[in-house]
Amino acid sequence: MKVEIEKEIQRSAEDAARDLKRMFASRKVLAVNLVSSPGSGKTTLIETMIDRLNGRLRIAVVEGDIETEIDAERIRKHGVQVHQITTRSACHIPPALLVKALDHIDLDAADLLIVENVGNLVCPAEVPLGEDVRIVALSVTEGDEKPLKYPLIFRTSRILVITKTDLLPFVKFSTEAVKAAARTVNPGIEIFETSAVTGEGLAALIDRVEALHAEKVR
Amino acid sequence: MHEFGIATEIAAAAVSEAEKHGAGKITAVTIRVGVLRGIVPDSLRMFFEYAAKETPAEGAALEIEEEPVLVACAECGETPASGLTLTCPACGRDGVVVKGGDSLRIVSIDVEE
Repeated sequence: MKVEIEKEIQRSAEDAARDLKRMFASRKVLAVNLVSSPGSGKTTLIETMIDRLNGRLRIAVVEGDIETEIDAERIRKHGVQVHQITTRSACHIPPALLVKALDHIDLDAADLLIVENVGNLVCPAEVPLGEDVRIVALSVTEGDEKPLKYPLIFRTSRILVITKTDLLPFVKFSTEAVKAAARTVNPGIEIFETSAVTGEGLAALIDRVEALHAEKVR
Repeated sequence: MHEFGIATEIAAAAVSEAEKHGAGKITAVTIRVGVLRGIVPDSLRMFFEYAAKETPAEGAALEIEEEPVLVACAECGETPASGLTLTCPACGRDGVVVKGGDSLRIVSIDVEE
């Protein structure tokens, strides 16, 4: 006997993402979901953003990794609220885990919540966390064709941050090619070229984040 | 790896639906999966087999219907495509609207009465 069902799977994840979105709206927090492959410099980018935004926006950070508290320890040194999620085996942060993590963060004392997702260009693309802005980071050592190879994550991101531009003289990476590739999959994507070493592009990125926050709380 | 959580949820949902209908054993579960969900069918089947162990869904076949994305082009109308594309599969034109391809749901279960 065949029983017709039509039951959505992972609806609970979608519900949790909607709850998160409502929570961010009511607390007037700009939520950023920062995604990239491992090693592209997400944590360093957050560290430099904290230092440069010092005083302009109150920042809270949720770190996602499969194991260890290493990233949270790094962020804690910068004097902001931080909580570490260890997903054990999961390749992305599930929304339900973020809901739990936020028990440890005082959102009323934050203007900007940065969620550093598990390093992975595949799964985090499919799992919204109720964020206002998804930022994808890509380092120049990874190759300029990545947006074409992993289109979904670049398509669902509002901002592309190219990191480690100080290494451009040493790698075969065309900034123009990566911009074209990113715009092929996402014509409206905003692109920032940055280096945490030279400081290139960070001021522009931070101004943009601040403007997005102002837009949200207006 | 995200197939593991999905497989667990499918098995649990199928079992609970079968119970609602007073059914005994589940012989097949049919799901509809959008191509944008990035699900690897073999991997999902493997995890499903594991998740269904020692439940009424043990040994059930997992039938996977693929849902294409629909590419809407001003000239050609809607054309299905098997992945994300930013040009019309029929005429190659840009500026298309891509929709669908993101389903993930159980369509039906086959049960023994």
